[in-house]
Amino acid sequence: MRVSRDWLQTYFEKPLPSVAEIAEAFTFHAFEIEEATGEMLDVKVLPNRAADCFSHRGIARELSAILDTPLKSDPLREPSNVDLRSPHLRVEIEDPKKCSRYMGAVVKGVKVGPPPDWLKGALEAVGQRSINNIVDATNYVMLNIGQPLHAFDAGKLKVENGTWKIGVRSAKESEKITTLSNEEFTLSSSISLITDANADVPIALAGIKGGKAAEITAATTDIIIESANFDGTTTRRAAQALKLFTDASARFQNRPSPELCAYGIRDVLSIIKDVAGGEVEGVVDVYPIPAQPNLAVSVTLGQINGILGSDFSLADVESVFRRLELATQVTDETFTVTPPFERTDLVIPEDLVEEVGRIMGYDTIAPVLLPAPATAPDQMRFRGIEKMKDMLVEQGFTEVSTQSFAEKGDIMLANPLDTTKPALRTSLEGNLNEALERAKRYAPLVLAPNETPKLFEVGTVFPKAGEYLELRTVPSEASLPDEALAKLGAKEGDLSKIVDLEDYGKDYEPKKYQLGAYKSFSVYPFIVRDIAFWVPKATDAMSVAKLIHDTAGSLLHQTPYKFDEFQKGEKTSLAFRLIFQSPERTLTDDEINGIMKGISDALTSSGYEVR
Amino acid sequence: MSKEFSNGVSQGRLHPMSVAIRAIAEIFDRMGFGIAYGPELEDEFHNFDGLRMLADHPARDMQDTFFTSEKPPRVPRTHCTSVTLRSLEKLAKEGGTTMRMINPGKAFRNEATDATHEAQFYQLDGFAVGPTGAVTLAHLKGTLEHFYREFLGESAKVRFRPSFFPFTEPSVEVDAWFEPEGKEGKWLEMCGAGMLHPEVLKNAGLDPAKVQGFAWGGGIERLLMVKYGIPDVRLFHSGDIRFVYGFDQKEV
Repeated sequence: MRVSRDWLQTYFEKPLPSVAEIAEAFTFHAFEIEEATGEMLDVKVLPNRAADCFSHRGIARELSAILDTPLKSDPLREPSNVDLRSPHLRVEIEDPKKCSRYMGAVVKGVKVGPPPDWLKGALEAVGQRSINNIVDATNYVMLNIGQPLHAFDAGKLKVENGTWKIGVRSAKESEKITTLSNEEFTLSSSISLITDANADVPIALAGIKGGKAAEITAATTDIIIESANFDGTTTRRAAQALKLFTDASARFQNRPSPELCAYGIRDVLSIIKDVAGGEVEGVVDVYPIPAQPNLAVSVTLGQINGILGSDFSLADVESVFRRLELATQVTDETFTVTPPFERTDLVIPEDLVEEVGRIMGYDTIAPVLLPAPATAPDQMRFRGIEKMKDMLVEQGFTEVSTQSFAEKGDIMLANPLDTTKPALRTSLEGNLNEALERAKRYAPLVLAPNETPKLFEVGTVFPKAGEYLELRTVPSEASLPDEALAKLGAKEGDLSKIVDLEDYGKDYEPKKYQLGAYKSFSVYPFIVRDIAFWVPKATDAMSVAKLIHDTAGSLLHQTPYKFDEFQKGEKTSLAFRLIFQSPERTLTDDEINGIMKGISDALTSSGYEVR
Repeated sequence: MSKEFSNGVSQGRLHPMSVAIRAIAEIFDRMGFGIAYGPELEDEFHNFDGLRMLADHPARDMQDTFFTSEKPPRVPRTHCTSVTLRSLEKLAKEGGTTMRMINPGKAFRNEATDATHEAQFYQLDGFAVGPTGAVTLAHLKGTLEHFYREFLGESAKVRFRPSFFPFTEPSVEVDAWFEPEGKEGKWLEMCGAGMLHPEVLKNAGLDPAKVQGFAWGGGIERLLMVKYGIPDVRLFHSGDIRFVYGFDQKEV
């Protein structure tokens, strides 16, 4: 929800702090701020507050509580009375579950044109495009108090017996509608429509977007304004099915109170009168399922401190509810809060505890360690698994982790991310063999020249009979000496069938390692060169390795590895393996030949005899 | 010299995820937490409904989910909070009121992958429950602060910001202060947490009038990326041994 500081300021007498300070206040007491640029804040309204805070009024209300600065006035606390007579408009709702309230107003003789500067400026400050005075008025009220509204050109609707008739019904299979943005949609019966019921023509996707058929244009003089409440689930499904997510659908799917409709129509009629003139003929209010008033919720001071681990006083809690303007009765140490209609999120005592915690600030709650437990914690199964891993590592196996999705399997995904791997793996084998092939290619980078990679993985597999934790090693000819592993036989299997993991691990302390900072590997090819030479018998191999290392320069991937050493008379033969790799390019044989020549020369001038 | 090879038969290597989970397990062991396991392929009750993420509620959109084509469908769990629910069920069957568990394990999200997003990742979920008033939000703060201090370094501390999760009330976002060696410290978003929602306790068969507690959950890869400077989350489960050998390691 994008809000502008200027817009919020209209709610306060006192000048508001800077955008940065407002952002900080929200971050620690209400909502994350996704972005703050210039005078605009993008507030990430939490799902449980989307019913009342997708609006400047809701955000201002929160800010008032956080800063403890009263609101100048609150549009939702002022009377919502409108003239409920409209002899020329009727509304028919097919299914009240999908539309619990529909208010429609007829305004005649409006003059459609550009909006006044304040209106245009307000919308543009939150990144909305100005369209005309009527449409802007509906958008303004939605962004101000959260009620989505829509204006139809009454002149484009059919009049029968002197009345217009708005219908709310499910779409027919394959029925079509063209929206205001000229997109045509083919509909199904799960999508709700607003229709010109006299002509049975769709004029809007209920709760989502208006249709082209009743668009407001410069020629429009008579309008019908809709302020309705559409079902959250129906709207959400329809928006998903049509892939059409709008400001209106975002609000309806979070189930704002139908009480809000009356405030919406009151405000939009007042603004339209100011910016477009005309005469309001009256308002129809069809409200088949009136919202039940929110029930009172009680919480005690003891409960609040008992859940938060805080030390708040009666006065602290009272001040929180006062700042939030929640009607509260205090009896002894019990607070009974009757939430206003728009706060549909306050239902259980814990909801009130959260209000106290966040408005007081979680930084006021000091961290406390849990007391020592009465019984020793059970980590036996974990230790059994880790003991198995330690055993394999000792035998030269390297642990890898691979993806759980596979080309083939018993259980398929309905919505795979990678369509070439639509199944859950039934074995670790495929992934491990693939990992081994790659490991062989990279072995010179990480293993000694006399070693070949041996890998293992412990991971969940998903055969039809049910998932289990599989242990598998590759290559298959690698030896598995431990008595527990020997039971593997085929070198694979359900880990918990190989040993009783709890029993196997109960007295085991898994080995612990300290890791250094991660060193990225190069994506470019490496080049392997061996060099052998004679040195006098007493020569220290390490110092020769250092000479090679220093001469080789930065393209040498790691310490020269001494892979061979033997003596003949007074001489010793040393052989080193060198790996060259660049982090930024592919090396050429020529440049490595040059480096090797340099090393050769350095060895020679040290009196060694290169073979 | 960047790397030394031992002569003779080399040891293999543990994956850094195993190294990390061992360190995590040890820290929580000292705070009295056991380790719980649950299925990676979950039913909708344990992954969603039992945690108050009801069908057609926008909260269900908070996590992009894989579904199997079975009838009824199951889900590769979107978090390890499902294991918390299963542990609480077990506690209810035993008639207990006290339990502390961590649930490190693999979780899945159906979202486009990039350097910071992976469709499969490890999560560290955990919870502690006790009789009413015994396990509080202050204990959550104390537990996590102790954990991050041991895992990330002495200068680590935590702060809470308001948040929303269907299975906790109140809910908080947890930031940890981290000072990498020789670099400036900063706050990092680490996990979501809160006090277990009374309906979740009830769904597990516990009496919310008698039991309360906290729960938290966050990605482990992210923790390691921060701690070790790993640039791309996709390295973890790539099966590439160059990643496993990308760290100098010392047995302690």
